[in-house]
Amino acid sequence: MQVVVTGRSQVINSRILLCHECDLLIENQEICETCKVQCPRCGHVLYKQKHNTISRSLAYALTALICFYPAVTQPIMILEMLGLSQQQSLISGSLILLREKYYVVAILTFLSSCLVPLFRLLLLTYVTLSITLNYYHKSLIWSFRLFHEMEEWGMLEVYMLGIIVAVVKLLSMAEIQPGFGLWAYAALLLSSILATTALNPHEVWDALLDRKTREEPC
Amino acid sequence: MVSKTITPALPDKIITGKEAGLVLCAECYKVHRYIPDAEQECRCCGAELYQRKPDSINRTWAFLIASMILYIPVNTMMIMNVAYFGTDEPSTIMGGVILLLQMGSHAVAFVVFVASVLVPLFKMIGIMLILFSLKYKVNMTDRQRIKMFRFIEFIGRWSMLDIFVVSILAALVHITGVAEITAGPAATAFGTVVVLTMLAASSFDTRLLWDYKRKNYKNIELNQEPAAD
Repeated sequence: MQVVVTGRSQVINSRILLCHECDLLIENQEICETCKVQCPRCGHVLYKQKHNTISRSLAYALTALICFYPAVTQPIMILEMLGLSQQQSLISGSLILLREKYYVVAILTFLSSCLVPLFRLLLLTYVTLSITLNYYHKSLIWSFRLFHEMEEWGMLEVYMLGIIVAVVKLLSMAEIQPGFGLWAYAALLLSSILATTALNPHEVWDALLDRKTREEPC
Repeated sequence: MVSKTITPALPDKIITGKEAGLVLCAECYKVHRYIPDAEQECRCCGAELYQRKPDSINRTWAFLIASMILYIPVNTMMIMNVAYFGTDEPSTIMGGVILLLQMGSHAVAFVVFVASVLVPLFKMIGIMLILFSLKYKVNMTDRQRIKMFRFIEFIGRWSMLDIFVVSILAALVHITGVAEITAGPAATAFGTVVVLTMLAASSFDTRLLWDYKRKNYKNIELNQEPAAD
């Protein structure tokens, strides 16, 4: 007997379910499509229905990509002190740290606040756009895997909190003005959070593997 | 659209996928039959298949111990230096929190204290407690342990806060001779600690928490028969 069950159909059609977090085997479970299903032993959410997941996350991902360029190149804050003014953008911040030879801090900041989020947004757009256009290519499979694996290394929201703390620290020292980059960054943060919350990975896997099995069964 | 939450009934006889000879693909959620002693790839998405993460406990310990060692320089060395009109003012992480308190911004001081002192400490102690609970009896239920681990995974990234603050300040304030903020060696160490604790959490396999309990049950049964290993 071959046991191959996919994401959504794993829950809906099949008789076998494995919990991702505690490996509990659940058999013969009748489950409706519109429900949220929880593991009885550890409480892990096995499946959750989301409305229009693919088109919604595509829309948010595109919005986030539009905001991306101004968010990283435009100044986030402008500091004025004794008639002198100084600007800081996401990229210039990392460059200055590199020049001061703090390689670990510079690379870590650049990766987690800029490169990883950009890469994830590109992957998400690629995957959701391809599904919408009914296009299939082998690279879609690893693209979505990579998207999932990089999840915890993108830290847009932590950087936003960092901006707030930095402003408070500087208030007593100098005058600070928000730059255009700050608004773009906030928009980027909001739309990329919405893109990931709208996304239901089970449904994406179903769509991807559906198209894949047309070429070669798995 | 609010969807109904369904919790299937816990089966009378609890069997894990491992015991049933099945393996769940961690990437695409497909269930496959497990082939022992062979490197197995998911036929659907190509991810490596394993019933439990390889060397999970050893790897978690390694990352954890490395991060604990590095946590010492994090707290003793300076994280940034503020040169204001020629006077240097180096500060450690705790020093930064105290400075914020003196400035009167209690809320921000609290946030920084939680993110860069409490979170890393809680994370390291929590992971250690979970690792110990696999070997020794710890007074915690399974639900409590898994909840604690989920919490640890969730909060881990927020300790990057101080790194970002330092990098923003260092980029923004560098007017030579008037005001200049530079990063300190503790910033490098702290960044490494955050990455190491995140790696420690991600290399731990939560399914081991439940395996342990079953092993214990077996031991109880086995103990009734003498000479059982």
